[in-house]
Amino acid sequence: MTSYLSLELRRSLRDKRYVLITVAWPVAAYLLFSTVFGAAANRAEGLLPVVEIMVAMAAFGAMGGVLLASGPRIAYDRQTGWLRQLSLTPLSKPRILGVRLLTAISLSVPAVMVTFATAALVKGVSLDAWQWAAMAGVLVTGCIPFAVIGLIAGSVSDGDSSQGLTMVVYLLLASLGGLWMPVALLPGPMQTVAHVLPSNHLAQLGWSIARGQVPAAGDVLVLFAWFAGAAAIAWLASRQLSKRA
Amino acid sequence: MSTLAAPPTQPARTAPPWVPNRGAADAITLKGVSKSYRAVQAVRDLSLAVRRGETTALLGPNGAGKSTTIGMILGLLEPSGGTISVLGTSPAAAVAAGRVGAMLQDGGMMSGVRVAELLRMLAALYPNPMSVEHVCGLCQLQGLEQRRVDRLSGGQTQKLRLAVSLVGNPDLLILDEPTAGMDVEARRRFWAAMNTEAARGRTILFSTHYLEEADANSDRIVVLANGRVVADGTPEGIKESVGLRAIRFTAPHAASLDLSTLPAVKTSSLRGDRIEIRSTDTDAVLRAVIRQWPGARDFEITGIALEDAFIALTEPGAAAPSIDHIGDS
Repeated sequence: MTSYLSLELRRSLRDKRYVLITVAWPVAAYLLFSTVFGAAANRAEGLLPVVEIMVAMAAFGAMGGVLLASGPRIAYDRQTGWLRQLSLTPLSKPRILGVRLLTAISLSVPAVMVTFATAALVKGVSLDAWQWAAMAGVLVTGCIPFAVIGLIAGSVSDGDSSQGLTMVVYLLLASLGGLWMPVALLPGPMQTVAHVLPSNHLAQLGWSIARGQVPAAGDVLVLFAWFAGAAAIAWLASRQLSKRA
Repeated sequence: MSTLAAPPTQPARTAPPWVPNRGAADAITLKGVSKSYRAVQAVRDLSLAVRRGETTALLGPNGAGKSTTIGMILGLLEPSGGTISVLGTSPAAAVAAGRVGAMLQDGGMMSGVRVAELLRMLAALYPNPMSVEHVCGLCQLQGLEQRRVDRLSGGQTQKLRLAVSLVGNPDLLILDEPTAGMDVEARRRFWAAMNTEAARGRTILFSTHYLEEADANSDRIVVLANGRVVADGTPEGIKESVGLRAIRFTAPHAASLDLSTLPAVKTSSLRGDRIEIRSTDTDAVLRAVIRQWPGARDFEITGIALEDAFIALTEPGAAAPSIDHIGDS
């Protein structure tokens, strides 16, 4: 199983287009936004813009890394028949699924690391060591619901359409979740939407730590609810798939 | 009268003495297995026992139920009825134990990784795998170990698919139309490798729609048509059962002759005064005809192509030997 996990990870990191989208995009967006809105007066989430945007973009990149690593890849492997072939090895279906989820979650790490490094080196963001470590930790583990959401997108679409579908889900979660602009700047009803989305609560975990606080239980709860709901849907979708086969 | 339609249930066979008896004597046992997809009955009441160490061909035209049968033996499909046992256990347990290797028609490969990486990863999943070097040699993949899987040609991919099915060193190897899309030379090499594996005692079950392929590479042929076993036996037996030669002659009042007195007749047909008889022993037929009907003339003896024999087995209504009176007035 570890050999399969390590091969899945290498396979993902070798995909240059994927790495470019999930790492270069948030970093470039961070540099742009933090330069344009970098004046200290524009405080949001009780943080300096260079820090607030850093967390938002790290969450944005982490989420993309996870979503794009789970959905489209699984749909593609199902379409080519590789999943079918793999299911004829001693590797059980739950283990295959476990490896795919673990791979997807691991792929949030590069975006988080590179965004943090850019903020520290280019924008002079300075935080305590525990804050960096804790932020990276919550952003990566907070991505678990997105891996399962990606799984659903990969189950309901085929190899060609899953890329587009996942991208739409990704961009909606990012923009409506307040990762591209502070939630306070969104019109009233959209603020309500933002507070329901997992993307917003993922960033909230990081913002709390950047302020030197312990993340609120409410954020963890919302993320867990999304995880539980998505897992239930994924389970039903996979049953439906195996029935059809 | 008919040697063609095999009884639906094979009598239980005992493994030949040279096959080590590990657990059950049969590698695969299907009992009264059926599978239907909504209105379509793909497999009907199929009973079959594949002995250990035997190479069995599952022969049939497209849509005969070969892939469905293989899917059920591999645990990919649940049978609608009947029971399946593989290596003395359930299909899923045999697969989970790493004792079954399979080459599927629609089995894809992992893209974005190198040939050796893929085989090494798979080998690590099995309790008793082949070395990557060995399996590459066996499947003529030397020199391609560092090639990306998605950059292999069609023929190279087919070799990799075989390597993937063999790397776990399985007791039972199942190949669903393994040579589809291969050129003649690749086909020859493929079967050379398979025959070596069979000689090592591996049980092999493969499907094909070419009788020549089944004939040249198996100990036993099971012919499927419309989801049923229509013939089951050694390649020689199968060929014999359809009558491999045809004798034609013209006789006055042909329609009134009693052909049932002739020896070794499989099928016969009549067109005007010309009779065609398919037989396993056309010489005996010729002698008998000359003796009984001195007026017979224009004798002609020809071989029947394997494909004709196959069609005779699998076409609806063609299986039972019969006397057709065509154009008889």
